[in-house]
Amino acid sequence: MALHGVPQGIVSPPTSTPRSEDAGDEHGIGGRTPGTVILVFVFLLAFVLYYFVNWKLLSFVWRIG
Amino acid sequence: MNGSFRTCPTTGLKVHAQADGLIKANAVVATVALLIGGIAAVLVMLTRWQAIHLLSAEWFYRMLTIHGMNMLIFFILFFEMAVLYFASAVLLNSRVATPRLAWFSFWLMVLGTVIVEWTMFAGKADVLFTSYVPLRATPWYYLGVILFAVGALLVVCIFFATLVVARREKTYTGSVPLVTFGAATAAIIAVITLGHGAAIYIPTFLWSLDLMHVDAQVYRLVWWGLGHSSQQINVAAMVSVWYLLGAFTVGAVVLNEKISRTAFVLYVLFISMASAHHLLVDPGMGPTWKVWNTSYAMYLAVLASMIHGFTVPAGVELGQRLRGYAKGLFEWLRKAPWGDPGFSSLIFSIIIFGFVGGITGVTFGTEQINIIAHNTLRIPGHFHATVVAGTALAFMGVTYYVIPLIFRKQIAFWPLAKIQPYLFAVGMLIFSVAMTFAGTFGAPRRHWDMTFSQAPYEVQFSPAVDLVMGVMAIGGLIAAVGGAIYILVTVWSVFFGRPMPEGGQA
Repeated sequence: MALHGVPQGIVSPPTSTPRSEDAGDEHGIGGRTPGTVILVFVFLLAFVLYYFVNWKLLSFVWRIG
Repeated sequence: MNGSFRTCPTTGLKVHAQADGLIKANAVVATVALLIGGIAAVLVMLTRWQAIHLLSAEWFYRMLTIHGMNMLIFFILFFEMAVLYFASAVLLNSRVATPRLAWFSFWLMVLGTVIVEWTMFAGKADVLFTSYVPLRATPWYYLGVILFAVGALLVVCIFFATLVVARREKTYTGSVPLVTFGAATAAIIAVITLGHGAAIYIPTFLWSLDLMHVDAQVYRLVWWGLGHSSQQINVAAMVSVWYLLGAFTVGAVVLNEKISRTAFVLYVLFISMASAHHLLVDPGMGPTWKVWNTSYAMYLAVLASMIHGFTVPAGVELGQRLRGYAKGLFEWLRKAPWGDPGFSSLIFSIIIFGFVGGITGVTFGTEQINIIAHNTLRIPGHFHATVVAGTALAFMGVTYYVIPLIFRKQIAFWPLAKIQPYLFAVGMLIFSVAMTFAGTFGAPRRHWDMTFSQAPYEVQFSPAVDLVMGVMAIGGLIAAVGGAIYILVTVWSVFFGRPMPEGGQA
C-alpha cells in the first residue's frame, strides 16, 4: 500500500470524512475530544505562568512605593 | 488552453491548467526567496553569536535587511499567492478568472522582487525590513516594493473574481469550503495591508526623490498597518492550511463550521488593530489609543487564534476517534501518521505557534510588559515562533501534498523529507526559546555587537547571555539544516523527481 515518495494521505486517503454529528452530542464538543481538552488546560497553565512571571519581572524594574 | 482541465484521481478536483501553472510558478519563486533569506539568516545568526561574530557591521545590517524582506515578504507572499489560486480555482473546480492578468501580476511581483534584491545586495538599501524614515534607501528600492505590492493586490482581486466566476458558473454547491473561506479572509486582510502599503510607500518613494516630506511618526504608524498586517495574512493563510492538512492527512472533522468561520471573521475585524503593539513605547501615541487597540481589539483577534488552536487539533482527534482510535486520552495522537511530513508539520506548527509564539505575543502586547520586552531579542524570539515555526512550517507541510497533487511528482529523498519537519521544528523551538531568554536578560535585537566594544561606555549583560546565545545559534543551525533539506527535497522533486504513476494519483 505504501508508495515511496508519496505522503500517506495521497496513497491511502482517509476514508470518507465522518461528520462531527456522527459522534453523538450527549457530552458536547469537549466530551468528544477529551485529549484536546487536556492539551488546552496545559496551554492555559503555561499562559498563566508566563504572564505572571512577566508581571513579576516588571515589578523588579518598575518599583512602586 | 484557458479552458483545459484535468481531474485529480485522488481528490476528484478539476484542476484548471492556468491555475496549475500559476501555483507552480509562485511556489518556485517562493522557494528561491526562501533559499536567499535562509542563507542570510545563517550569516546573521553567526554574527549575533559573539563567539563567531562573522560579518562586518555593514554586511550584518545588509544581510538582516535581505533576510527580513525575503522571509517576511517574498517567500511568504509568493507562497500565499499559490494558496489563493489553490483555494479558489482548484478547490472550487473553477477556471482562473483572468489568466493573462494573473500572469502579468506574477511577473510584476517578480520584477519588483528583482529590483528590491538588486538594491539590497548592491548596498543601496541598508534600511532593514522596516525602512524607518529618515533612513533612506535608493528610490529604486521603494519602487520595487510598490511594483511587488501592486502585483500582489492584483492577484487578490483575481482571487475574488475567481470566487464570483465559480459561483456564477455553478462549479460548486452550497457554501464555499472552510479552507476557501479562510483564504478569503486572508485576501481581505491583504487588501487592508496593501492599502496601508500604498499609503506609506508611495509618499516615501517621493520623499526619496526629494519631492515631499514624510513625518517619521506618521511613517511608523502607517507602515505598521502594512508590516504587521502582512503577518496577519500569514496567520489566516496558515490556519486555512491547518484545516487543509488536517483533512488531507487524517481526514479531520470540522467540529463546527459556524464557529470556525466566525473566528476567521474576528481576524478581519480586529487583527489589523494589533499592529498598534509595535508602537506601545512610542511617545507620539496616547495611552487610550494604545490600550484600546492592544488590550481590547487585539484580544478578540487572539480569541480567534485560540478558537482555531482548539478546533483544528480537536477535529483531528474526533476524526481519529471516529475511525476507531478511541482508547484512552491520546491513542488518536499516538497512532497518527507521524511519518507523514504533512501531519508532523501540522502538529508542530500548531504547538509552537500557540505555546511559544501565541503566549509570548499576547504577553508582550500588554502595554506595561512591553516596556521590558521592546527592542530586546524577546521580540524576534516571539515572531520566529509564529512566522517561521508556525506559518513557514505549515507551508512546508502542505508542499509535500502540493508536489504530488499539482506538480505530479513523487517526493525525492523521501526518508529525508520525513525527518525534515522534526529537524526544522526542534531547531526553531530551541532557537526561539533561547532568543526569548536572551531578550529577558536585556540582549538587544538588531544589534551587530552586543559587547559594545567600540562604545565610549560599558554595557554588561549577565554571563548567562553568552550561553543562551550559543544555544540559540545551535538551534538555528539545526533549523537551517531542516530548511536546507526542504529546499533540496522540493527543488529536486519538482525538476528531477520521478513522475507520479500513471493511473495513480493526480
